Amino acid sequence: MEALDYFQVESPEAAGAEYYKQIMADVLQDLDLVKIISRLHIFVDPKVPVFVAVGTIRKLPGMVRVRDCGNVKVEEGRAVISIGDEKYLSSLLKVLSDTYGKQRIDQPDRFTVIVTGEGIDGRELEEIQVADPSEGIYRDIIYAMQYGSPEGFKVRRQGVSRERFYYVASEDTLPEDVVETLVKEKFSLMGVPL
Amino acid sequence: MILEPVTYTGGVFKHEQMVEFIEDLGGYIIQRHVIANEVVLQALVPKEDIEQMRVLAKALMGTVTASPLVGTEIAVVSPSLEIHHLPHSTCDVAEYLRRFGAKTNVVGLARGFGKRIANLNVEERDVINEHDLAVYVLGNFEECIHHKFGTLAKGIHVPIVLTGGPSKEALMKCTETPVQGYVGGLGRFMHRTKKPEEIAKLEELAAEVARVLDVRREEIAKDPLSTMPPKLMDVIVEKMEPLEEVTSPTPVTVQMTGIRVKLPYELYATQIRKLEIEDGILIGDICEVLPCRMRNYIVVRIKPYSETKIIV
Repeated sequence: MEALDYFQVESPEAAGAEYYKQIMADVLQDLDLVKIISRLHIFVDPKVPVFVAVGTIRKLPGMVRVRDCGNVKVEEGRAVISIGDEKYLSSLLKVLSDTYGKQRIDQPDRFTVIVTGEGIDGRELEEIQVADPSEGIYRDIIYAMQYGSPEGFKVRRQGVSRERFYYVASEDTLPEDVVETLVKEKFSLMGVPL
Repeated sequence: MILEPVTYTGGVFKHEQMVEFIEDLGGYIIQRHVIANEVVLQALVPKEDIEQMRVLAKALMGTVTASPLVGTEIAVVSPSLEIHHLPHSTCDVAEYLRRFGAKTNVVGLARGFGKRIANLNVEERDVINEHDLAVYVLGNFEECIHHKFGTLAKGIHVPIVLTGGPSKEALMKCTETPVQGYVGGLGRFMHRTKKPEEIAKLEELAAEVARVLDVRREEIAKDPLSTMPPKLMDVIVEKMEPLEEVTSPTPVTVQMTGIRVKLPYELYATQIRKLEIEDGILIGDICEVLPCRMRNYIVVRIKPYSETKIIV
């Protein structure tokens, strides 16, 4: 868990806090979030009971475009894309089919995609958006908190923005002012103003 | 004759010799697994013949190990079947106890999670009570265990071994009604138990379960059963042909005071009651044949000597 800049678990029960630190570390590792989350503070009080997780997110990579997937070469009556990174190939084929029509797209071999047609603008083709890597990350973060938190804490309030997230859960109803105060307090413990 | 629970592991080649040897000694084979070229026999063998068995095992290139939990059925009770508790730690515990010969069943409660909202329904209570012992695999906070354990253990009359994150002393302190066994430092975790200290905890649990079951065996010995459960198993397996079509790994599961037969109660209960054990004594004379809470199976409970005045 060295990848996190700050990682603390706070609880009135010291042994419980240690166990929860291990649980959260395992969950973040399982969901591949160690490099996404930068700071994480967790507070569990089984007496109330309440579970609070607040954290900050690292800058996520931007939109993947056709130029990131391979080289585009415009020839007479067609454009040839030589695939360099196969990771987004299925999304690329789908986007190209949607843009140019399925009958104009051909993939003669694993690393070549051909778009046929007159007057294809190479620059324009390169700039087409293929995928958003940050898609699903926010959902994964909340999922990680959900399954790291004690089971049975079904009443929850959560929020994610581009830079930070919070997750508060309890067995009982959560008054809004309590949630706000707790979240603010825990963010300030991490040195992050809300 | 004192029967010792053991596991024989060896090759398929000539393993029939071992099977016959155990049967000739008057022992019982509780379970036989054939996995590719390997055979695992869980058996009860007369104590004085164990050394002879080891000699034969050596000749067959196999090994004989003591398995204190052979012939017992244990419920591993988990607060739920959610990702929070499965596969770790509940399955790790269930799997490890199997290595000592126990037949373990995971009982995932419908609403066993939470501190205030945890509860145990009647069906769950009855299913747990059909086992020899229940291992409660609870979480990491004393506060929660203190609140919920009373509710989860309500109406359970089989011995309980409680495991949880807090230390053994803390667990003892936070349960209002004491239970038969405690293992601390084994609470909720999200990774496979691989480290030596984690394996040591599972060893500690197996030892605690064996200790609690020994106490139970001593209690049973004060008023012995009218027949031995493995003997009853042999009679039923031999005489009930429909069992050959049951695909379950253990069509007849041996427990400490009875057996569970995996056949429909409505169709076969009467037939089982009428089976003869020995010298005209029928199963119905010395056992209660009851409907099981697990599916529509049959539970056969052996009555003690004080009730029947018969020992076969």
